[in-house]
Amino acid sequence: MSQHAAPSSELSWDPENPHGSTSHEHHVVSWQILLLVLLALLGCTALTVGVYNLESWIESAFEISIPRWINVFGAMSIATVKAVLVCAFFMQLRYDKALNTFALLFCLVGVGLYMTFILIDLNTRGTIYEFKVGEKIVGGTGVGLNTPGIDDRFNSRLSPHISTGGVGIVAYARLTGNAKYPGLNTYRLDDSPDEAVFWKKFYAGHATRRDNLDEFNYFESLGFATHGDPKQSTANLSIPRYGLTAGLFDEVAPQEHAGGHAPAHEEGGQEETNDDNGH
Amino acid sequence: MTTMTDANNPPVPERIAKSPSHWRNRKHADHFRNHDEEFDASKFGMWLFLTTEVLLFAGIFVAYAVFRMMYPEAWANGSNHLDWVYGGANTVVLLISSWTAASAVRCAQINNQKWLKINLIITILCAGLFLFIKFKYEYMVKLGDGKAPGTFFSYPNASDAHEQLWWSLYYMGTGLHALHVVIGAGLLCWVLVRSIKYQAYGPTEYTMVENTALYWHIVDLIWIFLFPLLYLVH
Repeated sequence: MSQHAAPSSELSWDPENPHGSTSHEHHVVSWQILLLVLLALLGCTALTVGVYNLESWIESAFEISIPRWINVFGAMSIATVKAVLVCAFFMQLRYDKALNTFALLFCLVGVGLYMTFILIDLNTRGTIYEFKVGEKIVGGTGVGLNTPGIDDRFNSRLSPHISTGGVGIVAYARLTGNAKYPGLNTYRLDDSPDEAVFWKKFYAGHATRRDNLDEFNYFESLGFATHGDPKQSTANLSIPRYGLTAGLFDEVAPQEHAGGHAPAHEEGGQEETNDDNGH
Repeated sequence: MTTMTDANNPPVPERIAKSPSHWRNRKHADHFRNHDEEFDASKFGMWLFLTTEVLLFAGIFVAYAVFRMMYPEAWANGSNHLDWVYGGANTVVLLISSWTAASAVRCAQINNQKWLKINLIITILCAGLFLFIKFKYEYMVKLGDGKAPGTFFSYPNASDAHEQLWWSLYYMGTGLHALHVVIGAGLLCWVLVRSIKYQAYGPTEYTMVENTALYWHIVDLIWIFLFPLLYLVH
């Protein structure tokens, strides 16, 4: 061991600097390259916006629908080119130690795995659900899902605020709304002979309280006075919508006799339409 | 290292030249052999941090992909509510700021103190402009329409039941990005102040400029992907 301790000119490595020299000139990127990269990036931005507008124009002019993957693929390809330019020149990965590039690529591989497995999972859930449903019906207890509960105190209405009976929360809101306002689904704007008649009926049929779907008055029990605050929008609560409703974005002229029906809508909604129509 | 002295580098006052923070007077930490080793270690550390930033935003991008697969109509509608003009303007602003940030590094490397400061100032102004456009023309307008995230959603003309999910993701993604813009601008301000006070950055000592610029570029990089995904893809 000791014979290696003395530094000798014949040694192929320097004991003071065993891994070789780490001192090096830093690369200075020329301003011409930086400017070129900026122009390329701006060009790519113009390109991606141009492609987007071209696609929109084609779709509306020829009344065709371009497959969405073309849209996604185009935009993402251009974004990737931009990202590579930024990484290589602005972040100087091109002139840098390869270690930094490896760190970034390693991370991107991780992101790729993350995304791939989640999307595979999402894509194949139908198969799994089909498989699992069979299992569930047999069940560990031998009791079917539709069997009434043994103890009503626990099994009925386990959590009235949360349980939607297995449907999605929006669908549940619609269902409860339908139960509360029978006939809500029976009239639609499309079927209505006159738009004004529809809106009159619509507002008359809707309670305008914030908690109009909350049969337990949950918000009020928390101490929130939710009634009649004109600044608080009451729109879109419990209102079932069917596709893009024709005329929804048009201004609706207020009816003289519609005033008494919708206390909260008077404040916000109708004032606006009044202004728009110059009354 | 000999550096050029020209009109951009008038002789520094003695008070600054003798400051321990002046770039010529900076000593590397004891556990490094030299400046370069310290620089490389710092930069690699910064890159490792940047990978965690990428992973942070990856969560948002994956959520985007998942919800887009589940509710394509809501995503198409939500995208149509965004105006590409403001998104595109912000893209241009960020690209220019990225360019000035890269130029700031270059100026530090060639000891061009005057343009180092000018580049930093332009970058900071671009950060402010980005936030201004974002808040004034996008957030305020959309919140006023009721296009708010989560339970605050009250937009009456929504045509798909899942549109509030879109808005939640929009505010989460762009809000997190805006937070990074604010942090990046703060770092740039710090670099600028130290540059003015001490001439702290020069050819042998520009680690902070480099790392701040890297942070700023990653902010730009995230936006490069957020912009088409939110504004252009439908």
